[in-house]
Amino acid sequence: MTEGQRTRPADAARRGRDNILIWQAALVVGLLAIWEICGRLTGADQVSSPSRIIRTIMVWLGGELYPHLFTTLGELACGMAIGCSLGILAGLVLGRMPIVSLILRPIIVGLYSVPLVTLAPLFIMFFGLDLLPKIVLVSMVTFFLLFFNTFTGAQQVDEDYLRTLDLMGASKFEQFRKVVAPATAVWIAGGIRIALPYALVATITGELLATRSGLGFLISRAAERFDMTSLYAVLLILMTIGLLLSEAALRLEHRFLRWRQVAE
Amino acid sequence: MNDLTPARAVAADAGTPAAKIRLLCAEKTFQVRGQDIEALHPTDLDIRPHEFMALVGPSGCGKSTILNMMAGLMRPTAGEVLYDGQPVTGPNRRVGYMTQKDTLLPWRTTKDNIRIALELKSHATPRAEAEDRVRQMIELVGLKGFENHTPAELSGGMRKRAAMARTLIYEPETLLMDEPFGALDSQLKLLMLDQLQCLTQHRRMSVVFVTHDLGEAITLSDRIVVLSARPGRIRAIHDVKLERPRDVFKVRFTPAFSEQHERLWDELKDDIIKGTDV
Ligand SMILES: Nc1ncnc2c1ncn2[C@@H]1O[C@H](COP(=O)(O)OP(=O)(O)O)[C@@H](O)[C@H]1O
Ligand SMILES: [Mg+2]
Repeated sequence: MTEGQRTRPADAARRGRDNILIWQAALVVGLLAIWEICGRLTGADQVSSPSRIIRTIMVWLGGELYPHLFTTLGELACGMAIGCSLGILAGLVLGRMPIVSLILRPIIVGLYSVPLVTLAPLFIMFFGLDLLPKIVLVSMVTFFLLFFNTFTGAQQVDEDYLRTLDLMGASKFEQFRKVVAPATAVWIAGGIRIALPYALVATITGELLATRSGLGFLISRAAERFDMTSLYAVLLILMTIGLLLSEAALRLEHRFLRWRQVAE
Repeated sequence: MNDLTPARAVAADAGTPAAKIRLLCAEKTFQVRGQDIEALHPTDLDIRPHEFMALVGPSGCGKSTILNMMAGLMRPTAGEVLYDGQPVTGPNRRVGYMTQKDTLLPWRTTKDNIRIALELKSHATPRAEAEDRVRQMIELVGLKGFENHTPAELSGGMRKRAAMARTLIYEPETLLMDEPFGALDSQLKLLMLDQLQCLTQHRRMSVVFVTHDLGEAITLSDRIVVLSARPGRIRAIHDVKLERPRDVFKVRFTPAFSEQHERLWDELKDDIIKGTDV
């Protein structure tokens, strides 16, 4: 009986979602068609056209794209890995140590208030033209986002849970593993989801400034040559990467969030 | 007569103190926005080893406060709490405490919540045995079929039973229970009382049990402490003179039970009306 009551609204929701998808697809197709027509009518390079962009991407997919793609994704992955681990670690430790957090918080907030991307030229000066400055930049950006999220989560852990485990004879480490870590996992997953687009922007910004490969390099090369078709092609690729990453992050977050959703 | 003294000495050496838990002039005053609220008047109380003791009294009279002090989660404002003769100064790991608010971990299923103590080093249990004990516990508290539900998917009564199973599974020598069966319907409650009685008698646990239900208190207890309205103080301690083993389902219909119930009710009724904080 409850089964029936539950599925009906779910069905309706799915139908609603399908409708929205159809409208979104129609909108995109319409806009692309207009672009294509304008491109063909004017023949102008600045306008380019979807078909030319696709053709360019197809050519790149033949081989030229991969080193650049790997550079960018590599920088992103390394930067995220370093930034996330350090941010999570710092957030967990400081979140569970009120005194230390009181001392360090102003420093961290101060650092966070600096728009980090402006540090990119500095990092390039320090670390050269290759991967390192971008990795450092991405690490910094993700560190702060992960730190703040994890910190908030760790501070909000229900003390009653810890007390319960304590009475059962759990060591501090066991209390941490069984309560603090899972309670904070949701916050961490959310932090990663938020950090991903920022990290991607940081990578590309770093590459725009100085680099010998990467998607950012493709953009600046195309811009120098007034090659709008290539420029749009890179943007399309970046958009696709962004969408895929945020979808993956959302899935990750949902996995941790399952018990939360049920609670509501 | 002369024989008695050495015998006593031996008993003391064997580590059987007269009291498992002892409140010595323990009192508790809370400060709420600069105001002192005396929750518990200075109180002396002994819980004997292997005794089942119930605390009854109007709400707000300090029952939970007493349990919190015994568990070492709260310090008395003055006076002392002793466990096995030793002052309780921090979390008391010798007791299993089932708090008034269940603290099941919301991200764990029923089964995983109940198992948690066995995952700890201090109660380390081989995996297969742990699974076995969890299954027994789940059956004992009647949660079969809900093993894989999260706490949010359980009713209030089910959560209480899961919390009870989680506390009983590691067989602490002393059990503190704060209104464990408040949310249960009366049939289920009797089943739970039966299981609890079996387990605690069989393992010879010492139990301090807070309840609103006088029948429940009489059915299970050796002694019942009646507390007065806030500030809580001990009004009377009743010995329950019902034979053990007791049949949880039938003992309610015996004359001895009714008489006990009547005496307790006379003791309590004025305070209950006074104590209701409406
Ligand atoms: N942490 C606390 N802070 C302030 N007042 C408290 C706290 N805990 C309990 N009290 C007060 O102490 C009194 C006794 O509380 P409690 O022991 O929970 O009563 P009971 O369990 O008998 O209903 C109540 O008036 C309550 O408001
Ligand atoms: Mg209470």
